[in-house]
Amino acid sequence: MSATDKLPGTAEREQPGPIRHKGPGPAESGWVDPRRRGHGGRALALHRVTGLVIVVYLYLHLGVLSMLLIGSSAWGSFLSLVTAKSFLALEVVLIAAVLFHGLNGIRVALVGSGLAVSRERAMFWAGTAIGTAAVIFAALHILGAL
Amino acid sequence: MSGRHDTHVLIVGGGATGGGLAHDLALRGLRVTLLERGEVTSGTSGRHHGLLHSGARYAVGDREAGVECIQENAILKRIAPGTFECNDGLFVAVCDEDLEYLEPLVEGCIGAGIPVQRLSAVEALLLEPNLNPELKAAVRVPDATVDPMRLILRFFATARHNGADIRPYMEVIGLLCHDGVVSGAAVRDHVTGKEGEIHADLVVNAAGPWSEKVAAMAGAEVPMTPSPGVLLALRGRYCNMVINRMHKSGDGDIVVPQRGLSIVGTTSWVVEDPDELSVPEDHVERMYAEGSKLIPALRHAERRAAWSAARPLVGSAGAASGRELSRTFQTFDHAEKDGIEGFVTITGGKATTLRGMAELCADVVCRKLGIDEPCRTHETVLLPHTAYYSEVVAA
Amino acid sequence: MTTSVSTQQETRRFRVYRYKRGDGGERFDEFEVPVGPHTTVLDALRWIQRHRDPSLALRHSCLHASCGTCGVQVDGREALACVCAVRDQGAQITVEPLANLPVLTDLVVEMHGFFERFPHAHPIIRSSGAPADADDGEVHLEGTHEITLDVPSAVPLHHHPHHDRHRAAPPGADFVRLEDCIECGLCLSACPVAATSHDYVGPAALAAAERLLEEPRGVRREDVLAWASRPEAVWRCHVGFECTKACPADAIPAERIMALRRELMFGGPDDEESKR
Repeated sequence: MSATDKLPGTAEREQPGPIRHKGPGPAESGWVDPRRRGHGGRALALHRVTGLVIVVYLYLHLGVLSMLLIGSSAWGSFLSLVTAKSFLALEVVLIAAVLFHGLNGIRVALVGSGLAVSRERAMFWAGTAIGTAAVIFAALHILGAL
Repeated sequence: MSGRHDTHVLIVGGGATGGGLAHDLALRGLRVTLLERGEVTSGTSGRHHGLLHSGARYAVGDREAGVECIQENAILKRIAPGTFECNDGLFVAVCDEDLEYLEPLVEGCIGAGIPVQRLSAVEALLLEPNLNPELKAAVRVPDATVDPMRLILRFFATARHNGADIRPYMEVIGLLCHDGVVSGAAVRDHVTGKEGEIHADLVVNAAGPWSEKVAAMAGAEVPMTPSPGVLLALRGRYCNMVINRMHKSGDGDIVVPQRGLSIVGTTSWVVEDPDELSVPEDHVERMYAEGSKLIPALRHAERRAAWSAARPLVGSAGAASGRELSRTFQTFDHAEKDGIEGFVTITGGKATTLRGMAELCADVVCRKLGIDEPCRTHETVLLPHTAYYSEVVAA
Repeated sequence: MTTSVSTQQETRRFRVYRYKRGDGGERFDEFEVPVGPHTTVLDALRWIQRHRDPSLALRHSCLHASCGTCGVQVDGREALACVCAVRDQGAQITVEPLANLPVLTDLVVEMHGFFERFPHAHPIIRSSGAPADADDGEVHLEGTHEITLDVPSAVPLHHHPHHDRHRAAPPGADFVRLEDCIECGLCLSACPVAATSHDYVGPAALAAAERLLEEPRGVRREDVLAWASRPEAVWRCHVGFECTKACPADAIPAERIMALRRELMFGGPDDEESKR
């Protein structure tokens, strides 16, 4: 079709165009941006972040336990680190992460198998309520005991 | 199948008319390029309420239009199966005055070959429980609901896969006209912002209500009276059948179900410029009022959208409301009419008759170009609308 | 469909994404647009096209949320421009094309990739069932577990025919209707997984597959389940529910994906009986 090949824009239309994604940053980080999403998208992002946190914590934990093999002096310095207030505060954050990941995980496992789908949002908010209460309880005990 | 004939036809306008014509000419083996300034069907064609006419609405006042409709109705259902909510329609009498229209309606339908069945009020309410319980009588005809854009996309899809070059976002900004011969068009591509030209053996103006503007680019005259009407989409599917008021064409005399919506239409007035259409709130109110005479629950239904679309009526200004002008279509060969070669306009018509319009125009085009090919669109099943978006496999 | 300029001189600022191929740049243009009480985002964009910049490319057709062509992001949230009321937005309104599909120009995305993801050429006509009952606000999905959506009672929806078996069908009532899904792409744009994976078939395609299980219309159940049970199909969904939130047409893609997963996990060849 030589006539239409001369139409302006013919070659340009063949090329792939830019793909917009929601939020800033490279396309592959699209899920991280929690803005302009509903509770489901935010839960998904937080679930992945808390999952990473838990994995990192697990490695740290194993690393720390391996220090016990070194001897009692290493254990002593370790104890002074972990009883510091700032570290205990991080422990509360860890508890929050574990609680969120666990409770949301139950929600995702149920809903993702097609069970209790209509109560998906209720489960999210119930889990948030339970988790928040538990974190406050833990914080009071861990930090309040100092 | 593409390019069996070397003749190149350029179609201006990507609505029902352009799509039907591109399909017909591509089937006949011509090379076709179609240019549309926006998305295909973004003019009037995509905006109507989605009624596939049985022709009953015209059977009393305009028998010719009624016959055209029922013939095309049957053809479309055959060539585009799976695109219609084929539930028939009812003409419903809600008052004694409406009953006076019953006999002329039935006779008109019989005379035009439109299948028609009388129903009692009880039978109608059994079929459609949300109808006005005061209704007196009803008549059943083979109306249907169509998704306006998707039906037309099937024509475009088939045309593309038969070699036609369908080019949306390409606006015709002028026609190349020299010594009384139109040889192509000057275009602006909205994808790149660049301008250019395209040459063709024949240019067909299928721009609907904009036909007058496009014809003027070649110095030709096509008297158009764009006639908009307001339509109202309400949330909720209150009927499965198309519900028509059993009286002469008037405001708000139809409720068309479309997915989970009920579309109430329409009104009619005339404008100069089909790009400047308003949506007067009193027309919207009239749709609520008239629509709830047919289906009372509509009174409280939530408004999803209110919009207007310009009917492409052929004829000069001077018509008061637009309802007086005929709804059949016309083809103008500008060589005969204005002494301009290489230029044809097809305009007017309504959505239901798009295929028939295209056939007549394609006959004119082929005659002018000396091509002897019969029309096959009445028997060619169209590709699904999704094929419009898929890669064209080289034939 | 102009705004009522004569009655209201209120204006809003629109920030509109622009992209023309060949000159490479993506940018945002700003326009002050007069608006009225019923002005939609599409009305405003078409006003800009007619009165400020004719090179603005827009996609629209039916103007009533039925064709699905006018999908855009308004302030970062997916919407059909033709029914997105300007009065519900702020003083400045940012309009961008949908995400996760390549931009053709300005606010128009290429839908080729969207339709490519669907199983087969999916049918768009389905059985209709009884029409809306003015007092009923529930819609039911077929299955052993009733999935009920709470909708305001002013928005009646049809009953699915399989749940009307206790209600005698009126005579001649083999009614059909168009599918709810209007193929607008808002769900794909909203999906966080689609942002990270261009292979993921996406919510609309999965919902269409679930509809084929609900109402086969000649398609074999085994084929649908085989198509759905691929890594880039139903298992790629991570239960974000952004799709149903974005859907303007009550096609409930998230619920349908979960129903599909339930079928794959707990269903079996004799599931016909357990579904009744």
